Amino acid sequence: MTELNQIDLRSLAVGHKRTWDAFVVAASPLINAVVRRSLSSFRLGDDDVLDAAQDVFVRLCANDFRLLKTYDPSRAGLSTWLAVVARSAAVDFARRRRQTTSNIDDVPESALAVEDRHVEKLRIPDGLLTERQTLILKFLYDEERDVAEIAQLLKIDAQTVRSTHHKALLRLREHFREDAP
Amino acid sequence: MSTERTPKNDRDLWQSLALDRAVAPAAVSDLEFAAWLEGNLPETETARIDAAVATNPEMRLAAMELAEILGKPLPAAPDRMAVRAKALVGFETERRTSRSFGWLAGLLPSFDGGFGFQRGAMAGAAVMIAAVGFMMGGGLGQSYAHEKYASAEPTTITNPLGVDTTGQLNDLFTDSL
Repeated sequence: MTELNQIDLRSLAVGHKRTWDAFVVAASPLINAVVRRSLSSFRLGDDDVLDAAQDVFVRLCANDFRLLKTYDPSRAGLSTWLAVVARSAAVDFARRRRQTTSNIDDVPESALAVEDRHVEKLRIPDGLLTERQTLILKFLYDEERDVAEIAQLLKIDAQTVRSTHHKALLRLREHFREDAP
Repeated sequence: MSTERTPKNDRDLWQSLALDRAVAPAAVSDLEFAAWLEGNLPETETARIDAAVATNPEMRLAAMELAEILGKPLPAAPDRMAVRAKALVGFETERRTSRSFGWLAGLLPSFDGGFGFQRGAMAGAAVMIAAVGFMMGGGLGQSYAHEKYASAEPTTITNPLGVDTTGQLNDLFTDSL
């Protein structure tokens, strides 16, 4: 079986049938995994996964392979780019499907409720934290991810995540005149 | 702005704060996001994508899910998925894109008469090629004609049974007993 990185992209972008078929075989496991994962929170079935995956392939070859032609191998690997495209297409698919099928009676009341309480927050001035520090704090506290997950995502050591977090907190506490615990 | 003391706990401190961004981060393309996921961007571009991801919960979720999927072996996809996807591109597309008759069209002068005129010129060229082929095949035609008409010429069989049996046959019908 041809690997994704062995696909002749030039031949693929001009629509050669054999190259397309080889690409489909090589890309299907990745597209299947990404679509399945993306749709898992939307509670859609196996047929929806197939339809959403088909949407991904349609996107890739539509308008004379316009999307495929935007891919630049010098910037990112084909698998990573394809995974991003597949996720984006799957989320669009799920939103369309949910818009057409969900009944308001099926949506829990808590999801429709609007919180009346207004909590005013302290503003972090622009430039106080670096973008990387902000991102790490977001992942740690807003997404409740652990250090190992963040390190894997950002391709850095777990120790770098910890030290970035520590420095960010020091800056925040210093700015808001709060002693470190 | 609240004047309450900031909380001691790191998590509570963070959750009592809000980013004060004057400008919303710029949009991130699929290719930029992929390059960021691979850690292939220069520092300034990385910071730009970091900012976009930090302000967009959907992008944070996407980043985590994709990093997880890309970091482990993938299960096989259902066969139907590949069958349906393969059907999206047919040989017709290949013919159209590769312009299989392009080599012949390239030999023709470029006219401004459009596709219809070019098709007419192609048909004319095809007729000419067929005519030349017919003429070049004349030798074969002659030999065929020779064989055909030769078979129609009358033949004289001088001795069809190989030996002269006239006398023996006569003997059978004569009443010589």
